[in-house]
Amino acid sequence: MQALLDNLDPLLRALGTTVTITLVAGVAALVLGTLVTIARVSPVPVLRGAAFCYVQFFVNVPLLALLLLAVFALPDAGLIMPLTTTAVVVLAVYEAAYVAEAVRSGVNTIPPGQLEAARALGLRLPQILRLVVVPQALRAVVQPLGNVMIALVMNSALAATVGVVELTSAVNKVNLVEAQPIPIFAGAGLVYMAIALAIGLAAGRIEKKVAIAR
Amino acid sequence: MRSMLTRRRTPVLAALLTAVALTTAACSDGGSSDTGVPPADDTAAASGLEAVFADAPVADEADILPDSTMAAIKERGVLRVGAALDAPLLSQQDPSNPDEVSGFDIDLAKLLAIYILGEPSIEIVPPASETREALLANGTVDVVFNTYTITEERAEQISFAGPYFTSGLAVAVTADNDDISGIEDLGGKNVIVGANTPAVTAVPEEQPTAEVTSFATDPQAVQALVQGRGDAYVQDYILLATNAASNPDIKIVGDPFTAEPYGIGLKHDDADFKQFVNTWLETIQDEGQWAAVWEETLGTVSDSGAPTPPEIGSVPGS
Repeated sequence: MQALLDNLDPLLRALGTTVTITLVAGVAALVLGTLVTIARVSPVPVLRGAAFCYVQFFVNVPLLALLLLAVFALPDAGLIMPLTTTAVVVLAVYEAAYVAEAVRSGVNTIPPGQLEAARALGLRLPQILRLVVVPQALRAVVQPLGNVMIALVMNSALAATVGVVELTSAVNKVNLVEAQPIPIFAGAGLVYMAIALAIGLAAGRIEKKVAIAR
Repeated sequence: MRSMLTRRRTPVLAALLTAVALTTAACSDGGSSDTGVPPADDTAAASGLEAVFADAPVADEADILPDSTMAAIKERGVLRVGAALDAPLLSQQDPSNPDEVSGFDIDLAKLLAIYILGEPSIEIVPPASETREALLANGTVDVVFNTYTITEERAEQISFAGPYFTSGLAVAVTADNDDISGIEDLGGKNVIVGANTPAVTAVPEEQPTAEVTSFATDPQAVQALVQGRGDAYVQDYILLATNAASNPDIKIVGDPFTAEPYGIGLKHDDADFKQFVNTWLETIQDEGQWAAVWEETLGTVSDSGAPTPPEIGSVPGS
């Protein structure tokens, strides 16, 4: 434990990076994932097909492969971004596929009668989505989205392999000097656990607050 | 009917996309790891060392003390070694024949197995670099041959036999870079290092203003340097020499700026085993097997002959 306390400063900075990556990628994934779901349930076949392919691609390719491709293959194609930015973008598009699947299950909870009623009231498609479908779909899947966000925190550790100095990378460095892998990695594990617990509890409270009384 | 059709067709498309992505990944990986090992030398190394292994020293029955670690290994019939599988010239697995692992570290491990068991019977436990101390402490491995730099912090957790080799960190830059001529020019620069290598701490010590970016493997770090993600790559001189020999895009500038004494990691406070391994090390240095292994592995990228091995126990922590 002393080994961790001696290196508190760089570790806290790295924890900050982990939290920042999670927040930025998390918000981006929620927005992108919701848009993908809207495309997925839209009446336009091309959009539906594109959204389906998007989800299948990102759910079926390992995140590490995506990260390595983005960091080492994109520069050959002429696109070079800072490492942390690259990691955030990859995490966001990857988790968006899982967000999309969660939100789609929320869409499925909306009774078809509501859509018919909305149409009968003269609402146009964008209005139906904005006023009827998306608000109810999101409220129904707060806990699953919380789980996706927890997975995002854990997945952010993979950024360590491509040179981003986040929590996992920082504890690796500390271990290199102190040579005490068990307390050091157990400590890091506890911090990840605390973040996951915080997200889980927050999701529980948000769910209670926004639950739809039926 | 319509939805049935779409459902059947799209997974095929997704599978194709995945296949394309994976092939690209495989290509880039294969391309960069190829750079490490000159294939022609590999076969030479294997055949060249057969004779060395055949004549390698074997410990006297009396040296295998009863109830010692050596006796336990002999009883088991195999030496468990913590070692990398992706370190060219040090410990490299042959991609086409996974049973064939060769290099300076692993060939020495085979010599130690011969010394104890009479045959080069080893079992490799990778990846060892983050968890070497734990693997030794809980007995998963008997010894660690893993470019394991002897430090006093590490010596509190485990014991080191040796040192058996001394290397040092050097600086590599892209071939067209004429601004950097050594570690002294790295102040304020973005420096690439390998994760869990001594460079992670050595670079900030030499150049506090340098920004350090670490990558998980050596091929990744080389790729990052070539793509301009950093100004220089600091790594073990031998490894850089191997990279530079096969990759015209990078070059080594300046001399090594540290001395890294590599030790053989052993369980802490096992004085008998440490003494035993040190005796073995002296024996193979005196009888020439140490130099023969060096010639077949690290010697293939060096212009000079086998160096004088470092004196055993000459480093704090050993």
